[in-house]
Amino acid sequence: MQQSAQASAVSKSADEPAAASDPNRQRRRERLLQLGTLVLLLAVWEFAARDANKLLVAVPSDIAVATWELLLNGELFSATIDSMSTFVLGFIIASVIGIVIGFAMGTNRTVEVILDPYINALYAMPLVALIPILMLWVGIGFLAKITIIILFAVFPVIINTVTGVKNVDRHYLDIGKAFMASRLMVYRKIIAPYALPYVASGLRIALGRGIIAMIVAEFLTSISGLGGLIINYTNAFETAKAFAPVLVVALLANALTILVQKVEERFGRWRRR
Amino acid sequence: MPKLSVRNLTKRFPVSGGPSMTALDGVDLDVEEGEFVAFVGPSGCGKTTLLRIIQGLETATSGEILIDGKPVTGPGHDRGFVFQQYGLLPWLTAAQNIGFALEAKGIPPNRQGETTERVLATVGLKGFGDRFPHQLSGGMQQRVGIARALAIEPEIMLLDEPFGALDALTREILQNEMLGLTERMGKTILFVTHSVDEAVCLADRVVVMSPRPGRIREIVPIDIPRPRASLGEALRDTPEYVAKRHQLWTQLMDLV
Repeated sequence: MQQSAQASAVSKSADEPAAASDPNRQRRRERLLQLGTLVLLLAVWEFAARDANKLLVAVPSDIAVATWELLLNGELFSATIDSMSTFVLGFIIASVIGIVIGFAMGTNRTVEVILDPYINALYAMPLVALIPILMLWVGIGFLAKITIIILFAVFPVIINTVTGVKNVDRHYLDIGKAFMASRLMVYRKIIAPYALPYVASGLRIALGRGIIAMIVAEFLTSISGLGGLIINYTNAFETAKAFAPVLVVALLANALTILVQKVEERFGRWRRR
Repeated sequence: MPKLSVRNLTKRFPVSGGPSMTALDGVDLDVEEGEFVAFVGPSGCGKTTLLRIIQGLETATSGEILIDGKPVTGPGHDRGFVFQQYGLLPWLTAAQNIGFALEAKGIPPNRQGETTERVLATVGLKGFGDRFPHQLSGGMQQRVGIARALAIEPEIMLLDEPFGALDALTREILQNEMLGLTERMGKTILFVTHSVDEAVCLADRVVVMSPRPGRIREIVPIDIPRPRASLGEALRDTPEYVAKRHQLWTQLMDLV
């Protein structure tokens, strides 16, 4: 019985080569492959680390238990809220500042000439070096964390916005000129939609840098949030518990990237797929 | 008084590390109200540059443009321009592209609907208003471009090789529609084209231009009686059409 079912399944897939190229099925197979690799990886980890010193190395099963504990006592939740509220506010401020400065630089040569060297220098330099000095000025509280996140996130937004704005196709600007569109209309209906994909990729880079900034800030300024949990549990040699916030950060970073992509797609409906 | 006059127009482009390039050299032309003038000539004869200067997209080095005897220095709602390619904003639907021109003319969005519907119907695109450009064929995109120019009710229409990027069949269909449209509306039209057939088919006069520097070589009147649209395909078999086409080809051949 089982044999015949297997045989028919085989002959079916051989009869229908179209089934293999069915995109849904293809995607399911790829997801399954990824899931399988993950399970294998965790199993190897669990097996290889089972005799290691528990103070130094945590195994996946211990991490799962620790994460569950931190979820139940609310510690993970409140740390996530703490980190995310700081991050989201910082990211939004960085995005707005970045887009405004990027637009100004992209449309006004004078502004670009003045700001360009500083923007490039700050983007390229390791901003962590500035954090101690920054703490002298703004302390170690909420303001310090927001400032660090903005500092890390703002430059890729500026640089990508400038690129998008400056690259606007001359043909499209000619349409505005020929029909005597106002400057505001040219900004709103030609330059902004054209620059949008550039801005979006700037936001994606800013997201990654902003998350790094959030964790670094929580390590170096007042210990708090998800970064604080990592530091505190590592210092207490509760290694399994230190992994839980790491997991949350990884998941959040991925979720936020997908969110930005969705927003980008929503505004890019006009594009050919 | 002519509707449009071009007076001793010269346009020079700077060339890095060399003498400037003269795109147009002392061009003089009068266009009467309701006249259809086509411009033909080899690449580099300045026909597109001339059209862009008349629209105000570029400035002349010297000389002037007069509309109804008054000099014009920049773009204006009295002229409607149809671009060759990339003429539509790809992130706006057909109706929004037309709305762009209307809004630029100062007509608020809530009063655009009727005009948009009307011009879309005029070019045979009733019901296509909510399509994005990439959802329309090349021919349909050009119709939207024409509809947008019509929407602002210009006195003069300027078309820069509007059918240049289309396949032969679509091109001929649009030529015939253009013929019907212009004969119904009687607007003053300036039309740049690579195609001698298109010029003879549509125009009252064909301006032949020569390159380097761009000058008017000859102005050929096309006296095929109007309305020509009703002739359909037979238009291209009339002795006048054949003769003018031959005459223009001979002249163009001498230029290359």
